[in-house]
Amino acid sequence: MKGKKLIATLLTASMLASAAAVPALADGDREDITMWFWGAEPYAQEALINLLVNPYNESQDQYNLVVEFRPSVDADIQTALAANEGPDIVYGSGPSFVMPLVEAGKLEPMDAYSEQYGWADKILTPYYESGTVNGTLYSLVNGVSTMGVFYNKKVLADNGWEVPTTIEELEAVMDAAMEKGLYASVTGNKGWQPVNENYGSLFLTHIAGPETMYKVLTGEESWENEAVIAAVTKSKEWWDKGYLAGSDYPNLNFSESLQLLSAEQSPFFIGPSIAYQWAASYFTGDIEENLGFIPFPATEQVPDTTYTLGAACTLSINANASQEHKDEAAKIIDMMMNAEFMQNMTAAWPGYWGTPLKDLSSVDTSEMPYLSQEFVKVVQSVSEAVNAGNFGYYDNVFFPSATQNRIVNIDEVWYDTVSVEDYVASIQAEFEVEFEKGLVPPIPQPAVAE
Amino acid sequence: MKAKKKINWNYFLIAPSLLISIAIILVPGIMTFVFSFTDWNGLSPNINFVGLKNFAEIFQDKVFYRAITNNVIWVIMFLTIPVCIGMLAACLLLNRKKTRSIYQVAFLIPYILAPAVNAMLWLNVIFSPIAGLFAALRNFGINLSSPLSNVKTAIYACAGVDIWHYWSYLSVIYLAALRQVPTDQVEAARIDGCSSPQLFRYIYLPNIKSTVTLMFVMITIGSFLAFDYIKLLTGGGPAHATEVLGTYAYNLAFSQMKVGKAAAAGLFISFFGLIASAVYTKLSKSEEME
Repeated sequence: MKGKKLIATLLTASMLASAAAVPALADGDREDITMWFWGAEPYAQEALINLLVNPYNESQDQYNLVVEFRPSVDADIQTALAANEGPDIVYGSGPSFVMPLVEAGKLEPMDAYSEQYGWADKILTPYYESGTVNGTLYSLVNGVSTMGVFYNKKVLADNGWEVPTTIEELEAVMDAAMEKGLYASVTGNKGWQPVNENYGSLFLTHIAGPETMYKVLTGEESWENEAVIAAVTKSKEWWDKGYLAGSDYPNLNFSESLQLLSAEQSPFFIGPSIAYQWAASYFTGDIEENLGFIPFPATEQVPDTTYTLGAACTLSINANASQEHKDEAAKIIDMMMNAEFMQNMTAAWPGYWGTPLKDLSSVDTSEMPYLSQEFVKVVQSVSEAVNAGNFGYYDNVFFPSATQNRIVNIDEVWYDTVSVEDYVASIQAEFEVEFEKGLVPPIPQPAVAE
Repeated sequence: MKAKKKINWNYFLIAPSLLISIAIILVPGIMTFVFSFTDWNGLSPNINFVGLKNFAEIFQDKVFYRAITNNVIWVIMFLTIPVCIGMLAACLLLNRKKTRSIYQVAFLIPYILAPAVNAMLWLNVIFSPIAGLFAALRNFGINLSSPLSNVKTAIYACAGVDIWHYWSYLSVIYLAALRQVPTDQVEAARIDGCSSPQLFRYIYLPNIKSTVTLMFVMITIGSFLAFDYIKLLTGGGPAHATEVLGTYAYNLAFSQMKVGKAAAAGLFISFFGLIASAVYTKLSKSEEME
């Protein structure tokens, strides 16, 4: 009995001691500024710690930036904010994710910080405006992402295939690849079903065309128009022909797809430019320079180089944070919104930190590895295309959440569970409701074709 | 003179569990019921009463019926395959007095591993076209597609993985019940010349009937709560082929921000569980009467 009492006393004492020790362990008297992020690859997490967290923490002695990497960050953020909790810096999987949070008053207006740090002047206008709701800024896109065609130069050269410049040439190479027993292209939605939306957005941009999509997204035209139906039909045609990795699509993720591309199992990986981050794990050493990237080739409807404007993620400020924490959160976000940060991050983590800046001239790529250099070229090219008005709309940036969810479910058409017409009608039904509620983000106008 | 009132300590003893049950079961349950009649998006302070609109929309949604069908498939598969395998394994282990502990531990390994680990194992070791069993078969010229990519087979593949992890749990439960069967009955039956199937049919099964019934009910309730393996293996795809009520409600709440509608879908999960519980209560009462 005495022994039990002694153990209980010791346990209680040790608990009290450890509880008392917690503040002392929390890096002096610093307060934590928190940020939740998605579960990026280990090398990428290390890059963010080395190039954002450590420099910020060393720059002052009042606050301690703590980044938590969470695979279920979207659901975690929604749940935490609903309970008026959550991190100081709010991660979002795109501006369309932000709209309901703004409507619920969970995010801090950032106009004052925008003025303080000059964000409106330095960020590409369509990206800046995509973070506004009724003219007030609530989020900033951290990095440009666009859909394009990654290709293995060696596979094309070995087979005597040219880099395609039109969709017909692209399809011809994919047909030839399948005849040789290769994948037409490698991609897949294993573990992340929203991968489908990449192809929905891609065909809406390049088959329906930016002009039509502008009219659709501004309510001027219905989704049930011939151009949108043609775009969805084209995606189905690609699916049926096995252009999207054939029956392996549900069993591959982007990392494995890039692995197959590097192993010369396919000429192409058609996907978002953020995929450079996975390519960095497989295109290494002698084969590093085998990887090439081109914008999606010309189609009859969209002959000029045109990019689907996508976002890696958005950054916002929690409305429930204290004023001091809000100010620090804005300061940290601003650290990520400059060319020097993009340069350093891209060198260590290619593909994710293509900061949407108007002026990227100061980004020095001379010391960067090959893949990082290539990614910077893509971002610069996107920047030029945006300035020329040659862009389309990625659903996670410009579509409200329920409409975006319908795009994610485009595989209903691919697997013949819904007809193209019924599918498009279902998008229209969701969009109408969200449009009336004012949930559609600002839609930048593309260049008008002559 | 008033008699001194006796303190009933039962109320104090039951209070903690009652309070916890009220806080984390009853209150959220009532909230789910109330929210199912609203258009709440999970975040907004503006909550509007929409009557039966959520239910009407759900009843018009083909995916909802797909989800219910898949849940029923799940129930049927789980009430047969793991029950048979678990019972067979338990019967075989019953007479292996020295080695059954080792077998039980070995069988239980999938059950004690986290669902995320099991799902990753199957995705990468079995279904992967790069490094899995299907990739190895391709190298031998057997070009099989993963069952997860086919809308007709995906639900069975998901259930197969879950059954692989679950059957050993049933086996352990059944073995524990079989070991409680009075040995005098077993010995008497053997002396009377009962064969093994007869022994099982007339001695063991009647004695473990209450355990088997309880597990049937638990399996049925659990099958309508199915979520983790489907979320991890297919996310409800391809094209909703593996959608169950759990993933359907999750998708409504977290992808479409329609928490009101998700609450309505959640009520159906509870409804089916409630039916199973009522059946169990009825069966238990009949057993007591006997």
